[in-house]
Amino acid sequence: MEEQDIKNIWKSYDARLQEANDQNQRAWTLNLRIFEEMQSGKAESALGKLKVMKRGGIIFGAIYLIFLGFILAFAIRHYSSEWNYFIVSMGAIFIINVIGLSDYVRHLVMLSKINYSGSVTKVQQKLTSLQMSILRHSRVMSLQIPFWTTFYLTDKWFPQTVGWGYIIFQILMTGSFVYITYWLYTRQTMENMEKSKLIQKLIAGSGGKSVMKAMEFYREIEEFKAS
Amino acid sequence: MEKSRDIFLSNLEANKGIIYKVVNSYTSHEEDRKDLVQEIIFQLWRSFSSYDDQYRLTTWIYRIALNVSISFFRKESRKREYSHPLTEAVLENIPEENNVLNSDNLKLLQMFISELKELDRALLILYLDDKSHREMAEILGLSETNVATKISRIKERLKQRFTKHETLEGSR
Repeated sequence: MEEQDIKNIWKSYDARLQEANDQNQRAWTLNLRIFEEMQSGKAESALGKLKVMKRGGIIFGAIYLIFLGFILAFAIRHYSSEWNYFIVSMGAIFIINVIGLSDYVRHLVMLSKINYSGSVTKVQQKLTSLQMSILRHSRVMSLQIPFWTTFYLTDKWFPQTVGWGYIIFQILMTGSFVYITYWLYTRQTMENMEKSKLIQKLIAGSGGKSVMKAMEFYREIEEFKAS
Repeated sequence: MEKSRDIFLSNLEANKGIIYKVVNSYTSHEEDRKDLVQEIIFQLWRSFSSYDDQYRLTTWIYRIALNVSISFFRKESRKREYSHPLTEAVLENIPEENNVLNSDNLKLLQMFISELKELDRALLILYLDDKSHREMAEILGLSETNVATKISRIKERLKQRFTKHETLEGSR
């Protein structure tokens, strides 16, 4: 079969599709009615749902940060050396969560900037990068883990009033959480996402599967552009 | 506003064929098709005020229709985790009066399209719609040389598929 014959098949399909859709004017009229609704802001786009999700995350995150900020401010205001562990730990948790929240805000800005009228490879790479940014977010958020093992300590009773057993327990616990954090931070990379089943499982709950798919597609786009 | 709305609607009416062809090439489900057409119209309207007339209107429509469809396709295929043959459902929309040979070839062509990766699929749709290499390059964000290379590869595969099919049919 020649090239033109194949194009003719496509053209006949085009004509038949047009004919079928003209016969089914109801569907097109419905689309136009939806268009009217869009103008009045009733209809929501698919990307809009993602924006709603991000906005929800920002609101929740902001409330959480206000709570953390409030107790941190209280501790600073009523400062005594007893609060040292708490202020340092909570301060670190607060800063890490501020970075986490700013990630969400950045994603929302990126989402609102996505313009589908750009070239296909450019727009698709932007969208996949956005999906892959979950990985960075997850890495940053994991940095707060060790601080949850130290915020409750005070120099009123630690270490002077506790026995060696507790000191060793505390060091081992905080040390192992520092190690876990280090491990998570250094291993949660694009390369490891492909190689390590454990990392895949760990991140699966927080959108890891879609990150994997996005990475695959990102690579496909790169190959598509290169070859 | 009213004038811009009327211009938009008349452009949409004149080019609805592009939307249907792209949508039917990326999804076979009736409900998905409706959602996808709606989403494309939404994005077209959203971008209409910033339409850059240095590009042809069809280039702009193809870009949006393909970008929305590819994103939709990726989201839907993640949900379902398996692929669907497009042919049957797509042909449901088409009147029956055409001859059997033509339908068979069309099914074969649709099947070939559905087997391609998202970006190759976009390229093939544009090629079959007689777009120039320059326009294809503008829509996809590739160089013209790259478009030419890819088109010749896909054409070769397409020809092979049809020749193989014809040989099989002939031996029956």
